[in-house]
Amino acid sequence: MKTFALKVCLVLLLPLPVLARTIVVSPGTTIPNLKRAVQLARNGDTIIVMKGTYASFNTLINKQLTILGKNGPVLDARFQEEVVTITSDHVKFDGFVIKNSKTGSVRDYAGIRLNRVEEVTISNNKLINNFFGIYLADCKHIRVLHNTLIGSYNIENSGNGIHLWKCKEILIKGNYVTRHRDGIYFEFAKKSVIEDNFSENNIRYGLHFMFSDDDTYRHNTFKNNGSGVSVMYTRRIEMLDNLFIENWGSSIYGILLKEISDSRIEGNRFIRNTTAIYMENTDRMTIVNNDFISNGWAIRVLASCDANQFKLNNFKGNSFDVTTNGTLKNNFFGSNYWDKYEGYDLDKDGIGDVPYRPISLYAQIIEQNPQSVMLMRSFIVNLLDKVERAIPSVTPESVKDEKPTMKPWKR
Amino acid sequence: MKTFQIFPAALLYFFCACSRTPEPIKYGKDACAHCKMTIIDKRFASEIITAKGKIFKFDAAECMAGFVKENPGISSDDKSIFLVSDFNHPGQFVDARNAFFLNDNSLASPMGGNLAAFSTQSSAEASKKDKTAVIYNWSLLLKSR
Repeated sequence: MKTFALKVCLVLLLPLPVLARTIVVSPGTTIPNLKRAVQLARNGDTIIVMKGTYASFNTLINKQLTILGKNGPVLDARFQEEVVTITSDHVKFDGFVIKNSKTGSVRDYAGIRLNRVEEVTISNNKLINNFFGIYLADCKHIRVLHNTLIGSYNIENSGNGIHLWKCKEILIKGNYVTRHRDGIYFEFAKKSVIEDNFSENNIRYGLHFMFSDDDTYRHNTFKNNGSGVSVMYTRRIEMLDNLFIENWGSSIYGILLKEISDSRIEGNRFIRNTTAIYMENTDRMTIVNNDFISNGWAIRVLASCDANQFKLNNFKGNSFDVTTNGTLKNNFFGSNYWDKYEGYDLDKDGIGDVPYRPISLYAQIIEQNPQSVMLMRSFIVNLLDKVERAIPSVTPESVKDEKPTMKPWKR
Repeated sequence: MKTFQIFPAALLYFFCACSRTPEPIKYGKDACAHCKMTIIDKRFASEIITAKGKIFKFDAAECMAGFVKENPGISSDDKSIFLVSDFNHPGQFVDARNAFFLNDNSLASPMGGNLAAFSTQSSAEASKKDKTAVIYNWSLLLKSR
């Protein structure tokens, strides 16, 4: 008897199974929209929204819910409000089409806004024609996965695709962003990871960092954005295995680096950009294992840069390999492959026996006199460069690769 | 006699060439002279026209202030014209020397300065949201940088 009482007590001590319910939203039923479903729901419930078009004027999600769209239900704000705002932790929001947020200069209206929340997942949504797409303000531990964001490409009415402000430890993975102001924008966003995203045809930058430290972005593609990718006023950023392609035009860069230090640019490919990497006030960077192919300028380093290392890179078919605006000191070039290298390798160790000077005389002339660009690829320019290579006099003595490789690095 | 007629015409032509009118900013195309970012937000764009008519464009008032600080020659010249966008009328320039600058944490200006310009003190006051917000005039703004 005693043991039986004990057993009963123990059974009572077991946690009760959570009685999570599932609420189904469907047009023309008693639960005709998401707003009503959220009102009825308790923490831990699941809401399933069936296919259909629903008006959604800033639907507030203030409970811990799993919200799933079935066959792509449409939430439309008809340019009157934000579409959805999430203010609760532990929300999963998946499978919706989010459309037509309000635009305007008063507030940053968004398709999906997350305000001061943690542990939220936004996945598999399609955001069309919103001012800002997914807007994270003051958030922690958020996952933004496999969403498609298509902006309006209207300069006045385009905010950023995925916008982070004062965030920490965010994962942005597998998204496609196009036609927004900046594809992905980080301001005061720390310790976050951006991977496997595709950002193209955005008005300004494919990816934009401001005052955001300790972030990593890898395996992303940035194609034909207004001004490429910009990493400014930050420290300790890892830029790995990305593809920068066809960011072309005046003041347009593969990567624009300004006031950044202690970062790594590794394993990236830069193809057909006006300027692949532009560096200003940039210190202690490691730029290794990258391919620079068919760019106008592969690397432009201003004299304000210090202690950067350029190693094991391939330079092929660039109009200019390296240019600068003054005396470039304390920056190291070593073991790169330069297709313009005309030295020899008598001891057959794969390393050229004479140093390569990546800054050509002609590049220096253009620096002083931009109009001389019209002489590009002319006989006289080739002659000047050849003479300079034989008897260096004008190009900076400090910028040279002592061990240029004879063959390109295989990746 | 004919030269006398041509001369004033020529003179007029030269004067026109030297006139210092603001150049419209090509949003989404022009780059900021200070931070190199592409100018896109009409609420915050700024412009300097120097005594010689050289034009510098900026994406934010804080960039213009930073630029002025690095180029004291331009700021000390009374003939320099400083223009800032009126926050309430995006894209419309007002003279920075007569403008009121609101520094408020709720303003997300492009370079993190939390700064917007207004044509009147009252409109700047009306846009205050944060308790710590401060309103500067142009010379105080330059000092605060």
